[in-house]
Amino acid sequence: MNQKIEHLLAKVQKPGRYVGGELNAVIKHKDHIDVRFAFCFPDVYEVGMSHLGMKILYSLLNEQSDIWCERVFAPWIDMEEEMRRHDIPLFALESGDSVADFDFIGFTLQYELSYTNVLNMLKLAGIPIKTVDRKELFQIVVAGGPCTCNPEPLADFVDLFFIGEGEQVDLEVIRLYQACKKEGKSKAEFLKAAAQIPGVYVPSLYTVVYHEDGTIKEMTPHQGAPEKVIKRIELDMDKAYYPDRFVVPNIEIVHDRAVAEVQRGCIRGCRFCQAGYIYRPVREKSIDMINHQCRSICENTGYDEISLSSLSTSDYSQIEGLLETLLDWTDDEKVSVSLPSLRVDGFSNELMDKLKTVRRSGLTFAPEAGTQRLRNVINKNVTDEELMQTVRTAFEGGWTTVKLYFMIGLPTETLDDVAGIAHLGQQVVEEYYRNPNRSKGRTVKVTCSASSFVPKPFTPFQWEPQDSIETLHKKQKHLIASVHSKKLTCNWHDANTSFLEGVFARGDRKLCKVLEAALECGCKFDGWSECFSLPRWIEVFKQCEIDPLFYNQRRRAYDEILPWDHLDYGIKKSFLIEECEKAYENDTTPNCQEACSFCGATCFKGGICVEKR
Amino acid sequence: MKNVRIWFRKFGTAKYISHLDLNRCVARAFHKAKLPMWYTEGFNPHAFVTFALPLSLGVEGRRESMDIRLLEDMPKQEIMNRLNEALPKDIRIFDVTEPQMKPGKIAYASYEIRYKTENGDLQLIKAELETLFAKESIPVQKKTKSGMKTINLSSYLNRYEITVEDNQIVLNIVLPAGSTENINPSLIGDAVEAELGYRLYAHIIRSSLYDDAFHVFV
Repeated sequence: MNQKIEHLLAKVQKPGRYVGGELNAVIKHKDHIDVRFAFCFPDVYEVGMSHLGMKILYSLLNEQSDIWCERVFAPWIDMEEEMRRHDIPLFALESGDSVADFDFIGFTLQYELSYTNVLNMLKLAGIPIKTVDRKELFQIVVAGGPCTCNPEPLADFVDLFFIGEGEQVDLEVIRLYQACKKEGKSKAEFLKAAAQIPGVYVPSLYTVVYHEDGTIKEMTPHQGAPEKVIKRIELDMDKAYYPDRFVVPNIEIVHDRAVAEVQRGCIRGCRFCQAGYIYRPVREKSIDMINHQCRSICENTGYDEISLSSLSTSDYSQIEGLLETLLDWTDDEKVSVSLPSLRVDGFSNELMDKLKTVRRSGLTFAPEAGTQRLRNVINKNVTDEELMQTVRTAFEGGWTTVKLYFMIGLPTETLDDVAGIAHLGQQVVEEYYRNPNRSKGRTVKVTCSASSFVPKPFTPFQWEPQDSIETLHKKQKHLIASVHSKKLTCNWHDANTSFLEGVFARGDRKLCKVLEAALECGCKFDGWSECFSLPRWIEVFKQCEIDPLFYNQRRRAYDEILPWDHLDYGIKKSFLIEECEKAYENDTTPNCQEACSFCGATCFKGGICVEKR
Repeated sequence: MKNVRIWFRKFGTAKYISHLDLNRCVARAFHKAKLPMWYTEGFNPHAFVTFALPLSLGVEGRRESMDIRLLEDMPKQEIMNRLNEALPKDIRIFDVTEPQMKPGKIAYASYEIRYKTENGDLQLIKAELETLFAKESIPVQKKTKSGMKTINLSSYLNRYEITVEDNQIVLNIVLPAGSTENINPSLIGDAVEAELGYRLYAHIIRSSLYDDAFHVFV
């Protein structure tokens, strides 16, 4: 650990965030390394260390003897202040070296509200934030993760984006970099060559022309860059790289446990859910592979809890067989198994019995909308009856705390739909009292949590306007007015942060200058209520003469060129339009397990698209 | 069942593991090491571990200990090897013994505090510290369960020695420690700042623990 850094630690909260030294952290000798990769998570340590993608790529890169991948997190505001005061640049945890010393500075973009942190981290590292100002073949800034499906707001800052899954393309780009270095090529030559690798998007090789109204007129690739960048994807999850160990944090993090990825993608096709579209098709891992990976991670970390992770784990086709296989050894070794995402219609008696051996906490389900009509609109194909059946099972099994997730601000939503959230919650409370065997002396607690819907690219709602803050507030008030029981609590997320998320989710390159100005105004950690200020952001938009409502509250026409139209996630636009029209008709679409709806993902020739249903 | 006392050093990056996090950290290490641990039999069974005396965040420990219960015997070297493999690199087990004293007997701790300053005459600072320590009254604010309390640090500064070596001032001092009375050595830095007007960067090491008759805790 660097002496200079250590001197700051006495003055900051949670100094353990900044020191490294964890079990399984990878330390290499600088002299034996050809490429140094700084894997940056634009949030604090506890959040970033919980992220599975980082664990996968960290181990994958460090398995290469000539590459050293280190971790970098955003310092919290107290530490940033100390670092600035003492002129200490952003550093990587393993070596303590400045991020400016690295060949690659890679960011993972998990949520739009972390964009200011990306810029702030570059600034703290002393690296020019704009692509054009970094002229050497060095300090290549790259980014991946779900938000890269619309990377345009960051187009001026990031040299190249990884579109889709990173397991293979990351290494291909690094190898190309090494070759270019050896041949003495320039950064421009490297980027031009990189754009030829499938799944690589180099924004500087595209020019955008706008109509007078601010919409896109055309987007033109140069220097042989592809018209469409097609996402990369792992087709055989049993062959995809998975680490056999995680770095074990010394301080408590948000998700402090072993994680097994049971499948990628989701069969459901909920129309609001970006992940449900951009990760298509569903690809399952075999029970044997999951079991093997769980065992090695537990053995190499000492974790006593495994989370079976995916977008919808109860949809894993052999979930009961998997739990049985795991419980075979986890019980004896005092390891517990948890499922983070349960579906209302996926909670059976058998599943509950297996989960009961696990430490009992509350159960969480996501009906997403309060009425059947609106659930049809969003294609969340669960019924009131299924929810009641599920909570009945849970209450009979002794659970007394149920949390229900909803969204407000969904397309076509009326105040009746909003009141439906409270009514549904009330029905769950009443279901509890219908159980004759309920434990006397204990009471039921139902929480309905409502987040604000943000329309996202590559979903059927990508053309929809987002509700205004005023409308969201009105709906929130209506929700609370519809609650008539003390057993039922309703709460919601801040509408102001959703407003900003909505701007950047469907933003274009004109927002680059907004981000730059926001950085100057001190915007950072926008996902944290103690740092976020909407008035400050509104001031920034004004200063840049950009109307945020153009991005989040405007209805787009189907034939408008969208900022992300040159990226191809396999989903056809015509399919999204069909889905949008069906939503207006309150019409549902079967899930991928039931029938193929011809979204376009068959083009990848893998997963559920080619398997027998 | 056998009670075992495990001795370790906690330094470097591990200094920044809080007591609460250390509990989690060693629990994982015991789990990974697959020692035949005795688990508590409550609603939420967990491996039984107790620490002799919590160490403040940022303080290095040279002779720390924790007690566990083993269901069956295991050679000392085997325990050490397995645990060292499972712990973060800056927590190192150096001995395993049978407990002699109860942790409740602990009354004092010895500290080695290394003060560094970027500019300043070390001999002069040493002299200033000696003058300060000799004062009858050194009021400092001590955090207690019932809020901040002013105490006279001077009454605890009885056993100490100040030397200058390797471009730093080294203070060796014994302070009350344990469940009845505990004086955090960082209070000395607070007193220096309040009385002398400068902040010294302190590398604090807790070197050993003692009972009320100054017998080393074993």
